[in-house]
Amino acid sequence: MNPVFHVIKKELIETLRDKRTLMTMIVIPILLFPVILSMMVKTQQYFADEAKGKKMTIAFDVDNLEHPIIQNLIALTKEDKLIDVRPVIDFSTTKTLIQQDSIQAAIFIQSDTTQAKQVIIWHDGTKIDLMGRIKESVELIRQKSMNQQLEVLNIRPQDVAGFEYQLMSTASTQETIGKLAGGFLPYVFIVFGFLGCMYPAIDLFTGEKERGTIETLLTVPIARWRLLFGKMIVVVLSGLLAASLSLVGLYISIRGLNIIQDPQLLTIINGILSAKFIGMLFILQIPMTIFFAGILIPIAIHAKSFKEAQSIITPLNFIVILPAVIGFLPNIELSATTAMIPMVNIVLATKDLVAGTLNYVHFFLTALVMCLIAAMAVFASYKQFEKETNVLM
Amino acid sequence: MIEVNNLSKTFELSRKQRKEMNTKETQFKAIQDISFSCQPGKVFSLLGPNGAGKTTTLRTLGGILKPTSGSVLINGIDIAKSPNEARKQVGFLTGSTGLYARLTPNELVAYFAGLYGIDKTTAELRKKWLFDLLDMHFYANKQIGKLSTGMKQKVSICRTMIHDPDVLVFDEPTSGLDVISAEAIINLIRDCKKQNKTVIFSSHIMSEVELLCDDLAIIHKGKIIQNSSFEEFKKASPNQSLTESFIEMIKNSEKS
Repeated sequence: MNPVFHVIKKELIETLRDKRTLMTMIVIPILLFPVILSMMVKTQQYFADEAKGKKMTIAFDVDNLEHPIIQNLIALTKEDKLIDVRPVIDFSTTKTLIQQDSIQAAIFIQSDTTQAKQVIIWHDGTKIDLMGRIKESVELIRQKSMNQQLEVLNIRPQDVAGFEYQLMSTASTQETIGKLAGGFLPYVFIVFGFLGCMYPAIDLFTGEKERGTIETLLTVPIARWRLLFGKMIVVVLSGLLAASLSLVGLYISIRGLNIIQDPQLLTIINGILSAKFIGMLFILQIPMTIFFAGILIPIAIHAKSFKEAQSIITPLNFIVILPAVIGFLPNIELSATTAMIPMVNIVLATKDLVAGTLNYVHFFLTALVMCLIAAMAVFASYKQFEKETNVLM
Repeated sequence: MIEVNNLSKTFELSRKQRKEMNTKETQFKAIQDISFSCQPGKVFSLLGPNGAGKTTTLRTLGGILKPTSGSVLINGIDIAKSPNEARKQVGFLTGSTGLYARLTPNELVAYFAGLYGIDKTTAELRKKWLFDLLDMHFYANKQIGKLSTGMKQKVSICRTMIHDPDVLVFDEPTSGLDVISAEAIINLIRDCKKQNKTVIFSSHIMSEVELLCDDLAIIHKGKIIQNSSFEEFKKASPNQSLTESFIEMIKNSEKS
């Protein structure tokens, strides 16, 4: 067997027996999204259900009792048993009552005439679940008031000239998903790819120094670069596995938790996740993970202890993740220029890949730039591993 | 056989190291122009105080460090020219050697056999012979991290001997070990001598040196200050213990 495979086999056995690495490489990536999203869905569902069954009290100034808007509000309580009204003498107290949840909204009519145009609805903006119900009730009152006014003028509401409009996007639904949410995918890949590489890199290099095993390893009749490559392949595999499992976790949560209920949207998402898409994603992901391994390994080789390596790598984590934020910014597109910026190009290319608007020249330019930077990082690792003073304590 | 000719090893000092060592020198000469030879069937002892250059010398013999100048021949193979060929001849063991805690002795020994390029059948036979000899079968499939110090030391011996090396380099092999574990190492050195292997070892424990040594060299500040047979060394100061002679030699070297 090729000595590099010997190293890979041994390092994989050891890595898969390390609980800390298993957590960051397998358990967290696969469970994070299902756990977070299911908690979000369940919490949202709980509050939505609670809000639906909860009686909502709307306050009004007692002086406005005869105002048609308030009369319509009172009429609404007869139709909807979950709406209650409460007249208040001192309207300035309503703010406190809303904060105490004694009432959920208060209607303030700015004019004392029946032609009042300005109506202010006080509510607690933090109670998002109630917003919909408040808006819905106010809209009903507004509609009723308008119809009454038209009736006074002897006009039938249906005779009022108006128009209906429909917004038609020139972008397809897939394109819209890609441009708006596509930045999330490379973000996940970058975070988990980096985390997946981090612990194995520290364990396989700093760990060897700290445990005193590196000295023995260097006495074997194998070129150092072979030892390095064997270890590096395991670090890269760990990063790829973590990133891929995070994607699997995300897919499981979308399908299993029914987060997306629109069947058309689901069909589009299933269409995006084709073999070609996954293949192209890996063309970008592989050099990126090699790059991560290539920048983590020199640090791990140089560090004298696990703690030292971790303290240097943690801030690096933020620097690497920073370009992923660009993926969320609008109007930054993959071009010949942006394709030359490592990491930013990955984010933009993935967005275009999801949107189905990928320019293949830009895509291959991105892959080429990432391969070059990965090769440079591998060379840096090689130089560090060759340095006697770095490898030995 | 080991032949060391005018061997020197220099390390570049980083700014941090210069500060720690309180020096303006950019280089540190760990060993300077040393020569000696170790014969098959004999145990060669390399003695010296801390920081004398023992570990650097032995690491160079083990192929871990590259010589800055001079040569090291292992069974006639120049370690600088054919490092991998030379390494195949050497078994290297130190007292501070760690083992992969998440592997079992079986896996660890098989791993090193593979790295030494030994075919599977030969490796299995050699492993069985060593496990029989050291009575290791009952914990062969237990993770090394769960083994006692003595058991771990036996695994280290197995790892060192799996490729049946002609030359053995032991760097303070018994440091930090209890009497029982240290005895296993002493027996190993004796067995190697019986098998006509070349053995070089460094130690601080003079009783061990007296027990095992045929030839010796004393190294101080990177230079060899004594190189002779053990008998000649003892004859030179018959009324002194080995420790006393050793200390006197170091002091004399500092005066000159």
